[in-house]
Amino acid sequence: MLQRALLLLGLALCGPADAAAPPQIDLTATPAWKGWSRPGRPSEVDIRLSTDAATAATVEVVAGRQSVYTELDLQPGRTVRLHVPVGPAARVVVSVRPSTGATQRRELILLQSESPLLGVGLAAGGPVQLDGFHAVALTADDLPRNASAYSSIDALVLDASTLRALDQRQLAALLGRSASCGRIVVVNTDPQVRRLLDGSGECGGQTLMSADTASDALELLESSLAHARPQPMASGGIGELMGADRAAWNGVVVALAMCFAATALVLMFTSQMSVLLLTPALCAVAAMVLLHVVKPPAQLVVWSEGASGAQLARYQAWHQFPGAVRERTRMRIPPQLAANVQPCDATLDLRFGFDARSGQAMFAEFETRLFRQVSLCYSGSFPMARAIAIEARSDTVREVRNTGPKAWPQGKLLLEGRVHELPSLGPGAHVTLSASGGHPPDAAVQRMARMRVQPDKVAALWPLELGGVSDIPADSRAWLLVTAPP
Amino acid sequence: MSQALPRRMATLTGLAISVVIASWWLGSTRLALDDRADPSRAAADALLLTWLVRGIALAMLGPRSGALRGWRPASMEAFALISPAWPVVVFAWHASTLPWAHAVLAELLLFAAGGVLALIGHRLRMVTKRPDFADALAMTLGVALAATLWLMRTLWAPPAA
Repeated sequence: MLQRALLLLGLALCGPADAAAPPQIDLTATPAWKGWSRPGRPSEVDIRLSTDAATAATVEVVAGRQSVYTELDLQPGRTVRLHVPVGPAARVVVSVRPSTGATQRRELILLQSESPLLGVGLAAGGPVQLDGFHAVALTADDLPRNASAYSSIDALVLDASTLRALDQRQLAALLGRSASCGRIVVVNTDPQVRRLLDGSGECGGQTLMSADTASDALELLESSLAHARPQPMASGGIGELMGADRAAWNGVVVALAMCFAATALVLMFTSQMSVLLLTPALCAVAAMVLLHVVKPPAQLVVWSEGASGAQLARYQAWHQFPGAVRERTRMRIPPQLAANVQPCDATLDLRFGFDARSGQAMFAEFETRLFRQVSLCYSGSFPMARAIAIEARSDTVREVRNTGPKAWPQGKLLLEGRVHELPSLGPGAHVTLSASGGHPPDAAVQRMARMRVQPDKVAALWPLELGGVSDIPADSRAWLLVTAPP
Repeated sequence: MSQALPRRMATLTGLAISVVIASWWLGSTRLALDDRADPSRAAADALLLTWLVRGIALAMLGPRSGALRGWRPASMEAFALISPAWPVVVFAWHASTLPWAHAVLAELLLFAAGGVLALIGHRLRMVTKRPDFADALAMTLGVALAATLWLMRTLWAPPAA
């Protein structure tokens, strides 16, 4: 008995010493843009993790009502670096929970500038100031890897050495920003870099500029401020293209009508209490089953715009998930659209599952309920090869020519406020249209196209195939609006 | 008098209440969906209405029915009045942000109230021993209870989402 007690005591004393000590994790978190942002704009957090022992860990970044989480396998001697996009918030909390051991937390305060922000990435030269702007001096490492984080700043000046120091993901994000008409001036770059950037800036040359000196860069920026940037479509506009989803509503109306009819029918034939109680009870059970079985389909609408002959088109997409039951649901995000994803409603409680390897959100988790429509908004750019030339043959006759390298499908032409049928045309082919023909815009997509084009401009509208995009609803719809040169 | 007719009338009353509230709720929801507004508020209001209106109907009918026909038939009538709204409650709860315990508790309270009010009416008749006087007293009590419920309706209201 005594021996057994001594053995137990020995085990109790030696056990903690023999057990593996919890891994020591070193966590560093740094916000992009040296911690500066604008109210209501997304940003990015650079997280570095290292450990002294192999462990699995969950990283969670909470910014306002949105959070991003990812699961990592940490190895000793290897620093893991994550660039996590965060939603609009003044305070960001980063926490790391290893499989064993205590959770580590870091709290970051993002400086919210009321003035527009000017990012200045000049390796040499004195301070740069632009009237009305708050200038933030940047090194290459302060630039984000997610294009969405560029929303934090309003203009950017970079020189050749800063550009050269950017890694691939930073360059991709910068090009994405350039394609979405962000104001960028590159100073003293070599011709190769300039050609690359020229190909990505498709906003009439008003937003991506090259300068020889920093002072020239500021002059260019000042003059560009006189021209309005192409504004992204308001989410309400895209929602109008989608139309209200009434499938769930119709289903509930039919189900309730059937329940009421069943109760009335039973009432006509019997007054037995058990039957009178059982009928609505069965209806209620059937209603619950119906809600759990029938899942309303998600919808995706993509609207893209570009200038004739441009290499890139900008797109915005609206992915709507209608709910049926009260539950926490997880929806996959199409990987091709995931580079810049955020909830369309900033007040939504939403959690993104982040893939550390690809640096993109993989899925979104949120609460659903009957009739609730949660929407994710995507934006970005894609390569385009459509060029259109319009030539006046007389006062009313216009010749429309395909000056691009590829054939067009059938589409619509918006000419002087009217919609004309545009036949499919091969490269170099043309069609003659009467400006007085056509019809006023009658469909929502045509009205949207007319709203997006200046009244004196001509534009072509084509439906797009989304064959290359995976994990999208079967009846997704997409359009491309190409503005013709004057 | 046969118990079938009052029971049918109670079910019909419950059905009418449910149809009216469901129509109002689905109309409000359709407007909210068309405006891309949040339809959960209308669902919460519909739930509140189903509880409040059935509560008021129970208060008006329960004691009188208990006084006239006794506790057991009056309780059955109360249950017949409450039950037709269950499908509306299920759908509206799924569209609202209310905790499930709130909805279940409200339904159980209505059931309990149906039995208790019927018992009160029955006891009134036993105490007064005069059916016409018990009927009048039960009716007065029912009106007073219904008025109290209506005046205290904000207490039933679910917290804003």
